[in-house]
Amino acid sequence: MKLAVEGVGKDFLIPVLDSVSFAAEAGEFVCLLGPNGCGKTTLLRIVGGIEPATRGRVLLDGQPVGTDRAPARRVGVVFQEDRLLPWLSLADNVALVLKPLGLDREARRARSLRYLHLTGLGGFEGYYPSRVSGGMRQRAAIARALAIEPDVLLMDEPFGALDAQNRRVMQDEVRRIWRETGRTILFVTHSIEEAVAVGTTLVMLSARPARVRELIRNDGGRERGKLVDDLTAMITEEVARQQGPGAAR
Amino acid sequence: MNTRNWARRLHLPTLIALTAVVAAWTVLSRRYGAYVLPGPLSVVSGLAEIVQSGEIWSHTAASLTRIAIGFGFAVLVSLAMALGAFVSTVARGIVEDALAILNSTSVFVWIVVSLIWFGLSNWGPIFTTFMITLPVVASNLVEGVSSVDRRLLEMGDVYRLDGGQKFTSIVIPSTVPYLLAGAKIGFGLALKVSVVAEIFGVTSGIGYAMNLSRETLATRMVFVWALVMVLIMVAVDKLLFGAMDRRLTHWR
Repeated sequence: MKLAVEGVGKDFLIPVLDSVSFAAEAGEFVCLLGPNGCGKTTLLRIVGGIEPATRGRVLLDGQPVGTDRAPARRVGVVFQEDRLLPWLSLADNVALVLKPLGLDREARRARSLRYLHLTGLGGFEGYYPSRVSGGMRQRAAIARALAIEPDVLLMDEPFGALDAQNRRVMQDEVRRIWRETGRTILFVTHSIEEAVAVGTTLVMLSARPARVRELIRNDGGRERGKLVDDLTAMITEEVARQQGPGAAR
Repeated sequence: MNTRNWARRLHLPTLIALTAVVAAWTVLSRRYGAYVLPGPLSVVSGLAEIVQSGEIWSHTAASLTRIAIGFGFAVLVSLAMALGAFVSTVARGIVEDALAILNSTSVFVWIVVSLIWFGLSNWGPIFTTFMITLPVVASNLVEGVSSVDRRLLEMGDVYRLDGGQKFTSIVIPSTVPYLLAGAKIGFGLALKVSVVAEIFGVTSGIGYAMNLSRETLATRMVFVWALVMVLIMVAVDKLLFGAMDRRLTHWR
């Protein structure tokens, strides 16, 4: 098992995640779905070792993930915003995160160019982030996350800031990149259409405090339109529950 | 380049206003006499005289050396303060309060204090420049380090950058624009303040030359030295800070 989330819970002032468990094999493309504010991003941050869990644990290749800095396992993260450094070229942005891996300058440069090429940014490596479009910045952020050759790639609504057309293009792109690299991906989205379009495994979370409501294999066995309808019904129910009794009426 | 662009580059409206001022200056100088208000032409010829005699260089060099030392120290101490403010919120509180106090202290306090402490020496103007420019440069820098985007630092954590890597690739570049802005204002202030401090206790520098001209009733030279100050300010602003700005923030 590549990634195992075991009874993970998180309390802030109120319990946000109750107890979430699921697992993913190497090379799976897992989509986390759920009503807004149910803790999808929090769960992703726990898996990424950015935040500690209140309960439970996350295993990556059988090793527990913690917030300490020990780089035993590599996690690449694509945030909602690109989080590129505006004063570095796209190539230098990617090369920067390779420094902790102990690669020399030339190896960093070569690998940075390879992954920029993979994400369709060949020829743009010398550009500053302010000179390229939002879609291209997000491509560079994906290149950066892939360049460390992560055990798992986490993506937190990475296309939320893009317009509908760019979004569709990027969904196809991320699907292609996933096929070409064989990475294990955990992808947070609130869009059911997006999840059905890109994911192989769909994890539907319940209303806050979140548990796994349903885990669905999206391997073509179920008809897509039907799947979207079922998931939409589920999420509507969960949203109503989260807003409290009476809110649905 | 067409004529419109040239007009803009030369700040044509400014030139027209300047011409009006010079004309009024000429009229007033005729009316009140050269002792009260020397005419523009005699000021320009005075400038030519000190260029020829070399006096302009020795006094300007003396002033700029004192500014460079006082202002340079102010920048160094500001960097230390900003670093402290970045790593500890307690230190940040102390630094901010200290800067508020320094900010509200008059130039004259430092001039008098430095006369008592350093007597008739170069250290008077240097110390005064240091004390006056420190709060300006430091407040800008402290604001710079506290406005570093936390989301970028978090990105650094996710990719396991160590403290040094985060500092050099995230904190310093985000702070550079604030440092430049602070240095620009600070240098202007340093020039004005050090010249005042040079009236007391030293025998070289623009302030000294200006005060000596007043005492020897050479009003014309007072205006000449004022003109020298303006020229230094414009030159440093356009050449030095302009070049630094273009070099350090070209990614914008």
